[in-house]
Amino acid sequence: MKNLSSSLLFFVAMLFSVCSHADIETKEFRIILAPAVAKSTAGYGVIKNVGAEADTLIDISSDAAMVMLHKTEINSGMAKMIHMPNITIEAGSELVLEPMSYHLMLSNLSEDIFKHGKYIRIIFKFEKAGIIKIDIPVKAAWD
Amino acid sequence: MLNKILTILLITLLSNVNIAKSKVVNLPILSGVGGEFTAVDSNGNTIEFNSYAGNVVVLAFGYTSCADICPFTLGYLKQLYNKLSSEEQQKVRMLFVTVDPEYDTPEHLKAFLGHFNEDFIGISGSKEQTDYIVSLYQAEYNQLSALGIPTENIRRVQPKLFEDESEAEEDTATLFSHSVSIYLVDKDGFTRSVEYTGTPKDEFSAKIKQLINE
Repeated sequence: MKNLSSSLLFFVAMLFSVCSHADIETKEFRIILAPAVAKSTAGYGVIKNVGAEADTLIDISSDAAMVMLHKTEINSGMAKMIHMPNITIEAGSELVLEPMSYHLMLSNLSEDIFKHGKYIRIIFKFEKAGIIKIDIPVKAAWD
Repeated sequence: MLNKILTILLITLLSNVNIAKSKVVNLPILSGVGGEFTAVDSNGNTIEFNSYAGNVVVLAFGYTSCADICPFTLGYLKQLYNKLSSEEQQKVRMLFVTVDPEYDTPEHLKAFLGHFNEDFIGISGSKEQTDYIVSLYQAEYNQLSALGIPTENIRRVQPKLFEDESEAEEDTATLFSHSVSIYLVDKDGFTRSVEYTGTPKDEFSAKIKQLINE
């Protein structure tokens, strides 16, 4: 019974980790396990527009933290974070969120939730594809 | 015949290993980068930079409310540090200088850096001290006030976290832009190389080892 529950949980987690919604697919999303005293962390992954038309990500939210799409830009050795209120993903293109580039900026973290192995529900809202909910695992990143 | 070929191959391989081991990189003193400063370490002690003399120092700037590049840099430094033997680690000091000393108190820095490695040392101080250290290393930082996250927006998302209104009013997440260089300083306090997280860790650790053995 315990094995069955674990398998079911794993199956559900896999469903959410590779999420497909109409013309938008997400994959490889993870949220970085931050130091216990940190008040922010980052999330990375890939959002792919597999449709025939461009679509725009217009909002990101979560009950577990405040979430924004940020981009780290490095110019002349200076790193600067830029808030991206929305971003258009062309048909057949993908938006790659990775360190020192686009990333989910999560702040005001709920302490009990951001633990290794937990899943954080993030809600993406697209102009055409609508609302996409994915449960993203919290992972220790830099080992 | 086969034995002969294998012997030649083995000798060639061993020769290459010896060449790689003995490869010395030119690390000239970078005049005008770095120098003596006073600050506070993550144990709350006032320190002079020359108190680290005799150790190789790896120094980076950042702040703990930074979600992307600072944790990434500290993760890189953790992996770099792990490439050193415990004996070599004792001769190296990894310094993380905060550009947000108002929020990053010594205690907070200690707890934050401990997530990466207990040996890492947080450096903070007054704004004047911070500005001076930044200028010594020809680095830069700026407060991005426009991108600060106002409490009212946080409360809109998660009102339950703010039972005390006065606490809520004070809580803001300030963002900064800052230099991303990583400075390698020799045992005499001279900056010898400026690296970044793109430097292959084997290359960087070889430079550290070279300075340890000077």
